[in-house]
Order: sequence, then C-alpha cells, then structure tokens
Amino acid sequence: MTRKVSNPEPVTRDSQRPLKITTARISQLLFLAFFLVLFVITDYRGQDEISVAVNSFFRADPLVLVSFFLASGAFTWLLLPGLLTLIFTAVLGRFFCGWVCPLGTLLDLVSGRIRKTAPLLLLRGNLKYYLLALLLFAALFRMNLAGLMDPMALLIRFLTFFLYPLVGYFFRQGWVGLYSLLGDHRDVLDGGYTFLRNYLLPFRETFYPLAFLSLLLFAAILFLERYERRNWCKNLCPLGSLLGLVAHFSIFRRLPARLCTDCGDCKEHCPTAFDSEVLQKSNCIRCLECHARCRFNRVKFRPAMFKGPSPAFSSTRRVLLTGALSGFLLPRLFAFKHPANESKLLRPPGVAGDDQFLRKCVRCGECMKVCSRNALYPASLQAGLYGFFTPIVIPRLGYCEYNCNLCGQVCPTGAIPNLPLDEKKKAVLGLAVFDKNHCLPYAKKLNCMVCEEHCPIPDKAIRFETVEENDYAGKKLVLKKPYIVENLCTGCGICEYVCPVEEKAAVEVFAKVKRKI
Amino acid sequence: MKRRDFLKLCGSSLLAGNWLARNLWAKEPSVVAVSEGKDYAQITRSVIDALGGIKRFVKAGDIVVVKPNMGWDRKPEFAATTHPIVMKTIAEECLKAGAKRVKVFDNPCNEPRRSYENSGIPAALKGIENVEVKQMEEERYKKTKINGVALKEWELYADALSANVFISVPIAKHHSLTRLTLGCKNVMGIMGGNRGYIHRDIEEALADVNSTVKTHLVIVDATRILTNHGPSGGSLNDVKVLNKLIASTDMVAADAYATGLFGIKPTEISITVTAHKRGLGEIDLTKVKLIKA
Repeated sequence: MTRKVSNPEPVTRDSQRPLKITTARISQLLFLAFFLVLFVITDYRGQDEISVAVNSFFRADPLVLVSFFLASGAFTWLLLPGLLTLIFTAVLGRFFCGWVCPLGTLLDLVSGRIRKTAPLLLLRGNLKYYLLALLLFAALFRMNLAGLMDPMALLIRFLTFFLYPLVGYFFRQGWVGLYSLLGDHRDVLDGGYTFLRNYLLPFRETFYPLAFLSLLLFAAILFLERYERRNWCKNLCPLGSLLGLVAHFSIFRRLPARLCTDCGDCKEHCPTAFDSEVLQKSNCIRCLECHARCRFNRVKFRPAMFKGPSPAFSSTRRVLLTGALSGFLLPRLFAFKHPANESKLLRPPGVAGDDQFLRKCVRCGECMKVCSRNALYPASLQAGLYGFFTPIVIPRLGYCEYNCNLCGQVCPTGAIPNLPLDEKKKAVLGLAVFDKNHCLPYAKKLNCMVCEEHCPIPDKAIRFETVEENDYAGKKLVLKKPYIVENLCTGCGICEYVCPVEEKAAVEVFAKVKRKI
Repeated sequence: MKRRDFLKLCGSSLLAGNWLARNLWAKEPSVVAVSEGKDYAQITRSVIDALGGIKRFVKAGDIVVVKPNMGWDRKPEFAATTHPIVMKTIAEECLKAGAKRVKVFDNPCNEPRRSYENSGIPAALKGIENVEVKQMEEERYKKTKINGVALKEWELYADALSANVFISVPIAKHHSLTRLTLGCKNVMGIMGGNRGYIHRDIEEALADVNSTVKTHLVIVDATRILTNHGPSGGSLNDVKVLNKLIASTDMVAADAYATGLFGIKPTEISITVTAHKRGLGEIDLTKVKLIKA
C-alpha cells in the first residue's frame, strides 16, 4: 500500500532543492558528456576507420545483449561489455541507472524544473515486468523489439532524427542569411563557422522521417516526470527492470533496509525506491542521495549475506504467462508486409536476409547517424510495423558510397556486419533496373549516360550499346543506350541518385526478393 | 591611264591589301607547351615557364581560382583526380607572382568530404598561407545568364566568376559519353544544379559555359591518364603513367594535343570539335605552335 503524497506543512521538496554533488552525480555528468561527445564524433572525419567505439553504450547494454541472445540464439563478442554490466549489477546493484545512463541523467537535470502532481498509480506495480516479459518473449519468438524501448536508443533517435538536424539547420540558415546580408564580407567569420561545421554540426542538411515520433517518445518520457521523479526509470524502462531483477539479488545492500522510525526523510530523498516503508531493492539506483542528505549519517552500502530468495515482484507466474502469450501472439499482429514495399526494401550493405537482420537490429540509429552519404533512413511501415526505426536505403536521397563501410563499423550487435572494405565493395544491396519509359535514350532519343558515368564498379555494372537511329525528324543520330550487367551490380544506388530525369529516376534499385508461391 | 593598266593596278592592290590584312591583323597562333618528367613539381614549373612564366597570367594582388578535378572518391594513383603535387606547385607559383589569394574547390560527384580527402589535394595544400581549399556552398552559386545554344541560364559559382584569374587543371581521362574528358569539360566543376541534365546536349552546353567563363590558363594533368572505365575509374589496370603535362591558353588546342595521348584524333572528340566551331580555340594541331618544355 502506498501513502498518497501530501504535505500539510510547507517543506522544501527535494525535487526543488539544488542538486547535491555526490560521486554518483559526477559520474552521471561525465558519462552524459562522454555520450554526447561520442554522438557528435560518430561521423566521417577524414579517416576510413572510426576510432573510438562510438557504439560503446549499446555494447554495454544488457537489454541489447539478452534480447539479441534470445532472438538470434547466438552470442557475439561485441556485446561482451553488456555481460560485464550484468555481472557488476549482480555485485553492486542497479548502479547503471544512477551512475551511467544518459537518459537518467537528463531526467535528473530537468526534473527539478517540472512541477509535480500525484504519482500515476496506474504505472505502479508490475506493469514494467509485463512489458519486459513481453519484450523478452517476443525476442525468444524471433521478434526483437527491445530497441524500440531501450532508453539509449530512444535518446539517440531523438538526437539523430530530431534535435541534431534542427540545430544544424538553425546554424546553417544563420550562415546563409549572413551571406545575403554581407556577401563576401562574411568570409571574416569563416573560421568560426568552418570549425562548427567540421566538428560539431551535421555536414549535410538532412531531414529524417519519424522525426516527430522520435520527439514525441522522448517528450513523453519527460512528461512523465510530472507525476514523479524518474517515473520512466522506475515504472517503465525495460532495461531498468532487467537490471532491477538482477539487482534484487545483489551482494551490496543499502542499510538500513527500511525507513527509520524516528525520521522517514529518505522517502523524500529517494527518487525511486521508497514507495513503502521498506526499500525496494530492485528500484534502488545507487544515486547516493539518501547517503548525502541523511542528518544522522546512518546510510551505508555494504556487502551483506544472502538472506534467502525473496521474489523481486509479486505474481511471478501471471507475469511470465502473460508475457509468454503476448510475446508470442502480439508481434504477429504487426507481421503484415506489403509486397510493393518489400521490393523496394533495401538494407545496409552486408545484411544477408531481412529475417536475420530484424532479430539483431536494436534500432539504435547509429548507422543512420554515421552514414557518410546519408543513404540510411528509419523505416516506418516499409518493413511492416515491426520494422519501425530500422535502417533502409533510399537511393534517390543518398546512395551507398563505394569506399565507405562506416555503418558496419558502428553497429553494436553486428546486425550490419563489419565487413573489411574489399568485401563490402562486393556486398549486394539490390539490383538496378532501367525504366525505359523514362530513360532518355529509350524514351526521348536523347543521349545521357550519367548513370554509367557514376557507376563505381571498376568494370562498370552499367554498359551501353551504340546504335544508329533516326531522330523524330528523320535525321541520323547515334545513341548510347545503357544496360545493367546483373552479376556486377551491387545496388549501391548512385545511378538512381544521379539520374537527371526530373519526374522519376529512370533507373531504380530493387531489392532481391525471394517470392514464395 | 590606259584601262588595262588601271585594271592591273586594282587587281594587284586588292591582292596586296588582302595579304596585308590577313598578316598584319592575323591572330597569333596558339601555343601549346608540353613537359615530361618524374619530378612533378619541376615539370609543372617548366611547362608554365614555357608559356612565358606565371607572371604572364597572375598579377600582384590577384585572386586566383585554380580549379582541379577533385570530383571522385579515389586516391591519386587511380587517375580520377588531379595530382596533388601539380596542384601544390601551381598554387605556390601563383603566390610567388604576388597573388592575394588562391582558391581551390570542386563540386564532386561522390561524397564531398571523401572526394576532397582522398584526392590528396587538401593535404598537399594544408598550411600554405593565402591558399584556401573549401567545400562549395549552396548560397554562393549565382544564377548566370548564358543565352547559349543549349543553356539559357545556369547556376555558376560566384568565386569562379569573380576571380581575376581562372586556371583550369583537369586530369586526362576516358569518358563513355564524350569519349574523353579534358579541359573543356573541367568547367563542369563550377556548375551547380542538376548537371546531369546537360548531358543530352553536352557539346553545346559546355561551349556555352566556356563562352561565359574565361579560362586564362589550362594545364592538363597527364602525369597519369585513365584509359578506360572513366570518369570514375577504380582499377589500376586502366591507369597509364605518362609523366606529362600540357599547358596552353587555348583550351581547345590543349585538348586536341591531349587527345593524341589516347591514340585518338582530335576531330573524333565531339566536345573539342564543337568548342572549335564556337570560336573557343584551334583544333588543327598543324596550326598550333608546340613547345617542348
């Protein structure tokens, strides 16, 4: 039973006091800074290899690890840091949420400014365990949806699809506006803008689909703060729930394990774990707030003897059964894929089959951020509702640059394999096909050949026949008519990208779909 | 005077007048300088000197645009882009002549950062004062009236239009549509918009642009040439190392000479023929003065 929060006497609420500087807080801020730095440097910066593991937050994410393992039945050494996180959690408790998670840090930073009303009792209880069970069982039944609700994926998607492009747009428009005002005199400020452009801003103006949805999801998490502090972390986050399950049996304990009879302030200090008199072990995020604010210096974190199994949450059987059933059935609701979409569903290079890909992709958005030619965009319904936020190539907007393999380098699970460059150059994304109703030499008796010009294959996957024809006026004319060499074409999409026909690209890349009749 | 004598006087003065007019006001024949050697910096200097030295083209205080081919994401050995040492030497020569600023840019066909980086040109020019290698910016393209045969107007880069001197440094390559891409085609790098559009009438379009933007000096990079699968290349098998440079103030003559390096006659390249017909230069190499530097 929870006591409704009410204050007869005016008390400065913890949520409105200035943040205390604990070791946890310092760690949070450092990790947030690290996260943002890694985000910004996930880009082509003059080298073919990306140095620092910009995807390290995802590789250390146990939710990614567990769902990957369940969905693909395999372990990848890429996710070894995630295993380490689990082991540390088993020892230290749910430290990740209080010391590392960038979304948690952001919530802590803004929560103080958000007016609180009463907590939503709807969210309390086992909802988060039902959600986690749903995700894990869905993964077990070959549908990996963990990425949709992973906190760091949510944050990166918000940054990549919404915030970063807008920040870039803001600065770029300012810069362009200066040119119409100052003309060449703007060159005085060139050094400053070049620095911004080379190191901080996106290189190219790109707007992404699902930008608004990414904003909405992030804003919804912030909105939840209206009801209680760390609402998402405490009542919804599947990563947090998973860590909480492990932390419930952790070696280190917070002592005392319940509110002191002569005080009870911890109920106010603690953002997550004191809904009742007894500390909820699976919710304690080790933020050390109680430790910093305790008037009597009673709070300690000590290794304690294992007291015997106590359940992490009630009605375990019901949660597991509901999770299993819904995990099995619910994803099938979203399994419809329109064939028209399937034939244009192009995945990043090296991806073998869509089925395998969807089991491993965590929809983190890193590949879309790093793509040097902005070929990758989040799918909405093209791969079925189940493929939301997974990367697809839209060649008319950006093609896969021949000598680049950055996406495979940043993928935290290897859903996009990290192929060495000479193998990546042979990876097939699809096949280009000419639409002779639009292609200029076929449709209008005009020479063009821009597609062939740009084909990066050294042997040229587009070749041409030189034919003598009469033009519409009867005059003799020599036309060069292109065709695709199918065994050479990798479907990189540069031909579709550069095709000068304005109404529709006369050559398009189609996915190689195996039709089952 | 007898009628016969009068007629003789008229006839001979007509002939004399004709001869005088044709030779006193005749155009100087175009000069094409060719240099060869393994030291690319040295052959760059010698080919410019053979035309009279850089001071003939660049005056103190000039803003010079040196326009290379940085259009493709290829390393220099693949002969898809202009050689960095050649570019560096030209920039240095311009500065020696007193140029206020040397601007180097191109509008690449591949990813712009990769194309610039892998061409090796920004690295070669790094740190040289008053030389700027920058990405081209959308807002600096100016809608320019061309009123040509194929193009009425097109977006051309303001920096190229406003420069005092425009030096074009193409690389000699195979090209499927035009058979070869040389000096006349290099000007595409200052064009914006949907450049693929002009391929339907590329000879006239290029002549239109070249009539609008004057190239003061063209130096064709034939240090290594791409003999097949151009303009993007990608196979070292298609690269032939020649260690040559061809310079001229006459873009058509330079192209005509460079065509010979591929074993093709200048009249077989339609771009060169059209450019000649439009008065942009001399295609007949017998009428051109050739200097071996």
